Amino acid sequence: MKKGEIALGAFCVAFFSFMFFEAVQLHGVGRFGEVGSGFWPMLFLGVSVLLSLGWLIATLGKFFKAKGEAAAESSPEASADTRGRRKKVGLSILCIFAYILAMPWIGFILSTFFFVPAFALALEERRKLVLIISPFLVTAITILVFAKFIAIPFPRGVGIFTVFSRLFY
Amino acid sequence: MLDHYWNAFATVLLPQNILAIGLGGLWGLLAGALPGISTSMGVVLLLSFTYTLSPMTAFSMLVAAYCGGITGGSITSILFGIPGEPSSVPTVIEGHALAKQGHAAFALWTFLLCSIFGGIFSVLVMMAATPLIANFALKFGPPEFFALTILGLSVVSGLSGGSLLKGFLSCSFGLFLATIGTDGITGGERFTFDTMILLGGINFVTAMVGLLAVSEILIEAEEPFKEYKGHVGYRGMRAEMPKFSLFRKNWFNLIRSPIIGTIVGALPGAGATIASFLAYGEAARTSKEPEKFGHGAIDGLMASESANNASTGGSMTILLSLGLPGSNTTAMMIAAFMIHGMQPGPLLLSTHPEIVYGIFVAMLLSNLFLLVLTIMGIRLFLELNRLPYSVFSAAIIILCVIGAFGLQNSVDDLFVMFAFGLIGYVMRKFGIPVAPAILALVLGDMAELALRRSLLLSLGDPMILVSRPISVILLAAAVFSIVYPLFKKPKMLQGL
Repeated sequence: MKKGEIALGAFCVAFFSFMFFEAVQLHGVGRFGEVGSGFWPMLFLGVSVLLSLGWLIATLGKFFKAKGEAAAESSPEASADTRGRRKKVGLSILCIFAYILAMPWIGFILSTFFFVPAFALALEERRKLVLIISPFLVTAITILVFAKFIAIPFPRGVGIFTVFSRLFY
Repeated sequence: MLDHYWNAFATVLLPQNILAIGLGGLWGLLAGALPGISTSMGVVLLLSFTYTLSPMTAFSMLVAAYCGGITGGSITSILFGIPGEPSSVPTVIEGHALAKQGHAAFALWTFLLCSIFGGIFSVLVMMAATPLIANFALKFGPPEFFALTILGLSVVSGLSGGSLLKGFLSCSFGLFLATIGTDGITGGERFTFDTMILLGGINFVTAMVGLLAVSEILIEAEEPFKEYKGHVGYRGMRAEMPKFSLFRKNWFNLIRSPIIGTIVGALPGAGATIASFLAYGEAARTSKEPEKFGHGAIDGLMASESANNASTGGSMTILLSLGLPGSNTTAMMIAAFMIHGMQPGPLLLSTHPEIVYGIFVAMLLSNLFLLVLTIMGIRLFLELNRLPYSVFSAAIIILCVIGAFGLQNSVDDLFVMFAFGLIGYVMRKFGIPVAPAILALVLGDMAELALRRSLLLSLGDPMILVSRPISVILLAAAVFSIVYPLFKKPKMLQGL
């Protein structure tokens, strides 16, 4: 976690510094008393750079201190557990991204129908009954409440998917 | 004023608004009760339902969800020993202990009655205080509003997490997000990098859904798949009802705790958690039976529950009268106001009095309805707890997608929401609190406009910010709230 924190700290320093220089280019003074578009961003972005630097330095300090002390090795079970968790989160993120990407193409109803079991599988759901029934239930309730009752104009998709979506909403 | 209340009652008692209060309250109870969904997340998810509703119906639903969410967190606390909300931790300590001794219904009745009492107390305070504060705030100029927003940002940054530095970093990030788009005064583009998505700025509802809800689901995804099956023997609410003499014996506690809750709730960024802990701490300090604390002290349970519900009225008072969010949840309410073309603040009482007085009445009715709704909610919650968590998580993501899409019917907003979901996940993984970023996103525009108007008024002289008594007091309070945690963090907040 320390290495990740160092990387994030360094990223924050770089990010806020870059934005600070962008803000400097925005800085311009109009009529008397008008401080320009860049004043406010420069103010807090300057503080952000300092805060990020402080965080980075503190994290580096902890890292080198921990390196000097005897480091406890993580057990194989703990490493496997960490890998398993990262895999679940990674798959979940992929599912959500695919859902959003697919929606304008295949329509809301189909993308939701496939998303539910895919996301459940990513979270290690293995019960077949749940995986089979839940997409129908969740999609039906969502369409009934939001498309029919509240009348939100969900994407219908393109081509043949539009025809399919129009059967429902 | 009586005319306003008469009209408000007549409006809120319409069938559609009563139904909205019932459904919103039930949703709030479930959102508060189910670990993995917070009250603010519940309100954000409910926003998408309210787009096509009339303003009064929408706000009735949202305030009912707010009151219900704070109350609902205690159901799991007592029955399962799992806090549904951070403000319910004292309830876990005392309420769950009582439940393990076979007094689950007794604990549930006590929490419920004290919650309702605290909620109604704070609503009455809200009714009295909002017009007074709003009238006073009409005297505020840009320097005072600037000082007020800085106070709000400093309080939430200082108290929201273990690290002050990370709290302020999160706040700065939120302020940066608020500047993206078009400058409100000069009309120039800022940080858009010539992209259409960023030209209109970051929609803060989309960002909130991502930072709060999507990131929460990703964090929950890491934990081993779980569905909690066991609960202490709950045999129904009729099993054991508390006697009136119990409340008479604890009358001072029942007066003090809602006062603490209302005042703390009114502090920008403080919220129900701090209210609950402060009242619990006071009850422990002054209790005649301090040895019972930690083992089912009924006065501790009464104190935390009446205070955390009382914070809702305090938060809403500040939102309606000053336009400042008193908590994360009231920050979501600002989104609701904007969706319906209104701006909370001192002018709201004069431009839309029917909405303000309607919200007073809706909150009063919500607290009264909570008695019936909670009894129903406990049963419903026990049934919902059987639902597979994986499917429940998927449903929450779908609600987030609907909420983000429904704002402008744009798929681009979904990508923005997804990006903020990832950002929120990374922030939480590294212990950076998300609440300051959300509040800064809401308050950032207000703060900047107030600052620049102040400097225009003074022809560039920054001394205007410290030459008016109200702004000096507010800025001093902001400095105090930044400096105070450096020297003393209350023990009860450590580890939060």
